[in-house]
Amino acid sequence: MTFAEVLAGIFEGFRVTVLVTLLGMLYAVPFAFIAGVAQYSARGWPHAAITALIEFWRSSPVIILLYAFYYTLPGFGLRLSGLTVGAMVLGLNIGAYGSQAVRAALQALDRGQVEAGRSIGLRRWQILLLIELPQALLAMMPTFINQFIQLVKGTALVSLITLSDMTFRAKEISQIHYDPVKVYTGLLVAYFIICYPATVVGRWLERKVGAGRKLVHDV
Amino acid sequence: MFDFGFALSIIPTIGKALTTTLTVTLLSCIFAALLGFGLEIARRSNKLMRYAMRFVIDFIRSTPVLVQLYFLYYVLPVYGIKLPALVVGVAALSIYYCGYLAEVFKAGIDGIARGQFEAAKALGLGRFQTVILVIAPQMLRNIAAPMGSYFISIFKSTPYLAVIAVPESFGSALDIASDTFRYGEPLAVVGAIFLAIAVSFSWLIHRFEARLALPGR
Repeated sequence: MTFAEVLAGIFEGFRVTVLVTLLGMLYAVPFAFIAGVAQYSARGWPHAAITALIEFWRSSPVIILLYAFYYTLPGFGLRLSGLTVGAMVLGLNIGAYGSQAVRAALQALDRGQVEAGRSIGLRRWQILLLIELPQALLAMMPTFINQFIQLVKGTALVSLITLSDMTFRAKEISQIHYDPVKVYTGLLVAYFIICYPATVVGRWLERKVGAGRKLVHDV
Repeated sequence: MFDFGFALSIIPTIGKALTTTLTVTLLSCIFAALLGFGLEIARRSNKLMRYAMRFVIDFIRSTPVLVQLYFLYYVLPVYGIKLPALVVGVAALSIYYCGYLAEVFKAGIDGIARGQFEAAKALGLGRFQTVILVIAPQMLRNIAAPMGSYFISIFKSTPYLAVIAVPESFGSALDIASDTFRYGEPLAVVGAIFLAIAVSFSWLIHRFEARLALPGR
């Protein structure tokens, strides 16, 4: 097998990798905003509850969460496909990281913004939607791009729960034609092709936005 | 459905494997930090190195750690380099995270006042002495928090090593699961242990960060 053939074989798993990424985003983005805003505005025990939820998804190793949900949900009568579980677990994990960017960006805004909103008679939710979030959005972008890259890379894990993504295809090819050098170099190249543009955009955005702002950094 | 007695009974087995997890974490943190610092210092040496090292860092950051792990595990033996799985695992985590730590070090060094470099030059310190005696200590103060959270990420990535059969906690939980056909308890126990350690560490880092902060900043 030539290197090009190996690469073509790996890209047969591209569809699944993209699908898990996109479905994961459907979980990650809403969770990041809802949890981030909730943690920012809640006080007392609701704040503690939302913090605990975020910490659960953020501080547990994602591979353990993936196995735990994939293997134990059927025991509770919930039969979900690997795709559903994979997208949900990866998405909520990344979303929990994203929520910290949302919260930090909201906290970094000048207090005067909220006060100005109040003084012109806006309600709290209007202040949030019309004044705070639009300004905070820019500060969140570099972290969101980085988290997107983490999500794409994280999808390699679904190969362990038998989804035929790029990593799974690489292992299949490797079993048929023993040629680990070509197969695994090809696999590195395949992910690099997908993630590198995002890495460059993220770096550029960080330079643009990062100046003078403290952002949550995270893996 | 969830058998607490069984869950309690497997804690010692998983706890024993935790020593491997922690050893891997410690070694990977040390090597990742050293490699990352080396990359960052190399990146600052001249223009060619700046682009070369930036590409190396971007390449590392643009590929999954799982794939890097497979790469080292399956490709090195082809060239006659046969290493124990644990060493391969530490190498993979060190390489993956050194790319991120290099970026952290970059921010830390950028945050040092220019006068410090000039003062070092005025004192006649060499390049090596400047890096070790002037830059490194001040940089560490600047970056204790982000560096700490990457160390936690390294800890949380050690379960990946189960796929190359390193006998760490997650692998031992999976072994128990496949022996007993009960997945819920071993995964819950190992998940809870990881969560508890990760959360405590991040709390400690917060405390430590507050103590390190320079007064008046």
